Amino acid sequence: MMGSEGMTVIGEGIHVHGRVHGEEDLRIEGRIEGSISLTETVHVAQSGVVVATIEARDVVVSGVVVGNVSATNSVHLERGAKLVGDIDAPRLIIADGAAFRGNVVMGEGADATAASTAKARPVATPRARPAASRPMGTASKPAASKPAAGRPGGRPERVEARAARPERPAPAPRVAAIRPPQATGGPDEEVTVVVRHAALAEDDEANEAVESRKKPGKKAPPRGRVPKPGKRRVNRR
Amino acid sequence: MANTVIGSTIVIDGEITGDEDLVVQGTVKGRVSLRENILVEESGVLEANVETATITIHGTVTGDIQASERAELKSNCRVVGDIRAPRILIADGASFKGNVDMDG
Repeated sequence: MMGSEGMTVIGEGIHVHGRVHGEEDLRIEGRIEGSISLTETVHVAQSGVVVATIEARDVVVSGVVVGNVSATNSVHLERGAKLVGDIDAPRLIIADGAAFRGNVVMGEGADATAASTAKARPVATPRARPAASRPMGTASKPAASKPAAGRPGGRPERVEARAARPERPAPAPRVAAIRPPQATGGPDEEVTVVVRHAALAEDDEANEAVESRKKPGKKAPPRGRVPKPGKRRVNRR
Repeated sequence: MANTVIGSTIVIDGEITGDEDLVVQGTVKGRVSLRENILVEESGVLEANVETATITIHGTVTGDIQASERAELKSNCRVVGDIRAPRILIADGASFKGNVDMDG
């Protein structure tokens, strides 16, 4: 007992379901589900499985953790560790052989929201392109309004840089405006093709626009074409 | 160190299940269900219904105890709750309030 003073162990055969909090080291060889809140070190041993949010000064993972991990000092993911969840810690060490999936925030906790939303933006910006390309002036406004929505951090600059890209190919707004109905199912690649067209021949914008109008006409028929060859064949026969 | 120790500053609010020895120096609230032995040390507080093979109490237990083999209340322990076990030992100086059922 003397040696175990100041050290809590959840053994391999033990399953804890609920909330664990305290002010000493915790070594988990068994299973904990719920939440862990400590002022000291949480050590998830190789056999340990934690399905819980963890708050501690240091977190050392050799086993499996599913849940967000928040450490005031450091998070170590050692060889063989598996972690699914977000990490918020000023120091993060990931060893070779560790598996991790989630967001990382190294800094103030307030940045956590900014980081998570910033990751969502790149997904949103391609969708926003057609809308942003219609009026030139407003292109920057929606982009600027997103960071203005109250998410602090250094991210807004990057967002503006992304917003600037659609402005360069702005010569193609008409094309882009025409495209959406045709390109509803189309990926971003089609949009970039349009950008090249516009850059190569600005004067031919109108012509290309017309072409692009024709193209949908050509592209649309394939659905109709399928029966046509059949009809032709029938006629030939 | 193979067995499980709940340290003196640790509070567990919930359920503990398993099949190995448990030493409680801290606080456990909720339910404890083991197939092995529980040792509640002097600093230990169990506010839980307990199912186990044997339990040895030096500290405080509030809740019903069901031991399949033995329940041992050491001196200076405080137990409030019903005890159900085939063998129940209560040492001199132990404090106990509750029903005893030794029929198993």
